[in-house]
Amino acid sequence: MKAYTFFRSSLLIAAGMLIILFAGCERDLADLEKASFPTNPEVFINGFSPGLNYAAFGGSVPTAFSVDNQVTYSDQSTASMRFEVPDAGDPAGSFAGGVFFTESGRNLSGYNALTFWAKATQSTTIGEIGFGNDLGENKYVVSIQGLNVTTGWRKYIIPIPDPAKLTAERGLFWYAAGNIDGKGFTFWIDEVKYEKLGTIGHPKFAILNGENQVETSFIGVSTGVGGLMSTFNMPTGINQAISIAPAYFQFASSDPSIAVVDEAGNVNVTGGPGTAEITARVGEVDADGSLTIQSLGEFEHAPTPIHDPENVISIFSDHYENVPVDYYNGYWEPWQTTQSADFTVDGDNVLHYFDFNFVGIQFASPTVNATGMTHLHVDIFLPNQLNANAQFQIELVDFGADVSGVNTTNISADQSQQWISLDIPLDDFPGLTSRAALAQIIFVDAGGNIPSFFADNIYFYNEGAPPPPGDEPSSPAPTPTHPANNVLAVFSDAYEMIPGTDFFPDWGQQTVVSIIQIDGVNTLKYSGLNYQGIQLGSNQNVTDMEYLHVDFWTANSTELNIFMISPGPVETSFSLTVPTTGWSSIDIPLSSFAPVDLGDVIQLMFTGNGDIFIDNIYFHKN
Amino acid sequence: MKTTYKFNKSHIAYFIMPVLLVFFGCERDDFQKLDERNWQLVWSDEFEGEAGELPDPSKWTFDLGTGEDGWGNQELQRYTNNPENVSLDGEGNLVITAIRDGNSFTSARIKTQGLFAQQYGRFEARLKTPFGPGLWPAFWLLGDNVDTVGWPQCGEIDIMELRGQQPHIIHGSVHGPGYSGGNPVSGSYTLINGRFDMDYHVFAIEWDEDRIDFFVNDFLYQRIEPEDVPGEWVFDHPFFIILNVAVGGSFVGFPIDQTPFPQRMIVDYVRVYTAVD
Repeated sequence: MKAYTFFRSSLLIAAGMLIILFAGCERDLADLEKASFPTNPEVFINGFSPGLNYAAFGGSVPTAFSVDNQVTYSDQSTASMRFEVPDAGDPAGSFAGGVFFTESGRNLSGYNALTFWAKATQSTTIGEIGFGNDLGENKYVVSIQGLNVTTGWRKYIIPIPDPAKLTAERGLFWYAAGNIDGKGFTFWIDEVKYEKLGTIGHPKFAILNGENQVETSFIGVSTGVGGLMSTFNMPTGINQAISIAPAYFQFASSDPSIAVVDEAGNVNVTGGPGTAEITARVGEVDADGSLTIQSLGEFEHAPTPIHDPENVISIFSDHYENVPVDYYNGYWEPWQTTQSADFTVDGDNVLHYFDFNFVGIQFASPTVNATGMTHLHVDIFLPNQLNANAQFQIELVDFGADVSGVNTTNISADQSQQWISLDIPLDDFPGLTSRAALAQIIFVDAGGNIPSFFADNIYFYNEGAPPPPGDEPSSPAPTPTHPANNVLAVFSDAYEMIPGTDFFPDWGQQTVVSIIQIDGVNTLKYSGLNYQGIQLGSNQNVTDMEYLHVDFWTANSTELNIFMISPGPVETSFSLTVPTTGWSSIDIPLSSFAPVDLGDVIQLMFTGNGDIFIDNIYFHKN
Repeated sequence: MKTTYKFNKSHIAYFIMPVLLVFFGCERDDFQKLDERNWQLVWSDEFEGEAGELPDPSKWTFDLGTGEDGWGNQELQRYTNNPENVSLDGEGNLVITAIRDGNSFTSARIKTQGLFAQQYGRFEARLKTPFGPGLWPAFWLLGDNVDTVGWPQCGEIDIMELRGQQPHIIHGSVHGPGYSGGNPVSGSYTLINGRFDMDYHVFAIEWDEDRIDFFVNDFLYQRIEPEDVPGEWVFDHPFFIILNVAVGGSFVGFPIDQTPFPQRMIVDYVRVYTAVD
């Protein structure tokens, strides 16, 4: 009865390693296909069918599987397969999973489905279950992900997408199941066999999730066809989604002189200008979806970076020395769909992400200290036509302080199909309170409409000498000379001011406002101005005034404007000449602020940059 | 032009061996041995025409809208005469398409009322059904005195009905006074390893004053005689033909999220014969 064998050696550590181990078998398999393989449909009826072996996945509980002679799906059955899924934290393994395979293949081309009966100790979900996992190439792997089972025996069906492919299949059955909310469970499977069913049908297949995508491209660019989907209609009339390997799809290019596609769906642009459409079929069924490559010919490189290498920490660029990077695509399970098809044109390496939802780049060994940097630079190119404006989100993660910050760039639809250079101040990643140990850059398709993008020249930089912090004025602004009865003062020690005025309104600005004393004279100081408002204590009728007076001082500002605002808001700006040499005084005719309602002035505002000192803001007449 | 078809029923059972007779396993062995009859074609629509054309207006008319209380069955669809819901496919078929638009559905129901009705004979259609929970295709007859005596007094003969969640089972029924709605006299026919939506099948009745015989692919699976109905036998006047695809309703239940749409009933032909000596 118990003729199965366990392979628990390191052979099973990772599927990726196994692919390498078994790659050498490919040629032999082709030869073997000429021989006739047994067509035995049985996998496990009352025990292992002839030639069947079992191997547990690495990391799983190796003893999760056993043969159960007590619990069976019918009186006629004398044995079932029992699987015990471990609780979270089980030292024996984190999940139950393994492969039932034969040493030599079976010819399953006369069947169209794998069927079995199953039940569990509770209504639960088996993570993944199917066939075609042969511990090797897994070329024709198929599974249902998230198979719901109940406490009663029920028959389950996993369709074979194209039976003609399975002439020498070794992977007869496989499964992987983890705990649910930390709790393990037990499930049984019985009567596992291949059948030719007339009760399933209407197969549907799709590439690119069924979408017809159009992508601008260039000679030398590679991409991939993702978003592979398949459904079959079950005997209950319901469509069942199954996950199927790319090898079931036959990809085709409408013009191989423009683009070629291999059997795995990898696309390489070979010529241009011109257009090629990539389509696929499974067996005799055309798959929904297509990828139209519009090759523009010679590759358009990203703009050459301009920043001094001295001021750069580079993650990915051919123009700088890059820091060690763990990976440019973490393939984070389970929600990431993004795949990579990075390419090199004329020695220019370019990252290419497709089937994009989010993707992370990690540089954790060692992490990057970007405290001396001011900006993140990324060049991106969206090769697909955008159906609407897009939101390209970047998250920076600091492993030291365990903090992260997110910045989102709006990309208008007409910016697709060209290089876009993003230069984002690191201060514009709210929440990133430390950048001493940066370790990840995560790109997110926040609007959900960017199918793919190229990326190049990803680096942090210091934008060079920022405006030198200006010295403070050595003396206060000149004392005003206008008679007080001709003055309505907003800010001045020399006059009675409009009561209740707010010099610190929070309008979302970055400017740091303070009131300092210079030789005992109160002076407004705007540090790092972007904009800053002044909310008058009450609405002011200044129709009988003639001028707005301002004294201002700045050593580093290159732009400074003053706005007057009446309800609406109706606002008009007046440009002030900066930087100044010492204190500048100006009397701006109020007519300059038309169409602001001078009978109802509510606010003033300054915009610009740099560090500004301001005093003696008042209306006056002669 | 009139063609006389001759059916020899005694041989028919041999080439439908795979069929499991669930409901009639206890019937006598010679159940399939029917009298030979000569059938003369009197009315048909082969649905030849250009793709996108509406069905021949000399033969078919439409039921439109949502009827009263979803055509008496809480059906969800709105019937239209739009080509996207009902049209020829250019390959010799009529296609009735049920379309989902959010939570609303459109479909079509065509009938020969006022154009053709017949008492007794053979009524048959070759068609592929739609599928999926909540789909309810039907090929059926209604007494053409429905407007004067009402339903169910007029009588109803359902030659083929199917629940989309059971695409391997069809039902044949008669409704009359005292046996209508959810309580008809009914039988069903099950494909043991096949489905009615994946291949064409021929659904037929043969009807005379003594009985109504129900066939799938010329296999007799049900005979209903006057003594079988718990009420008045009302199948003694002309009936007209209806083809429709309903969505939802008391017979089939609601469609669910996993119900694939659009759904099509593809009708190769409808033919009506009369018996000749």
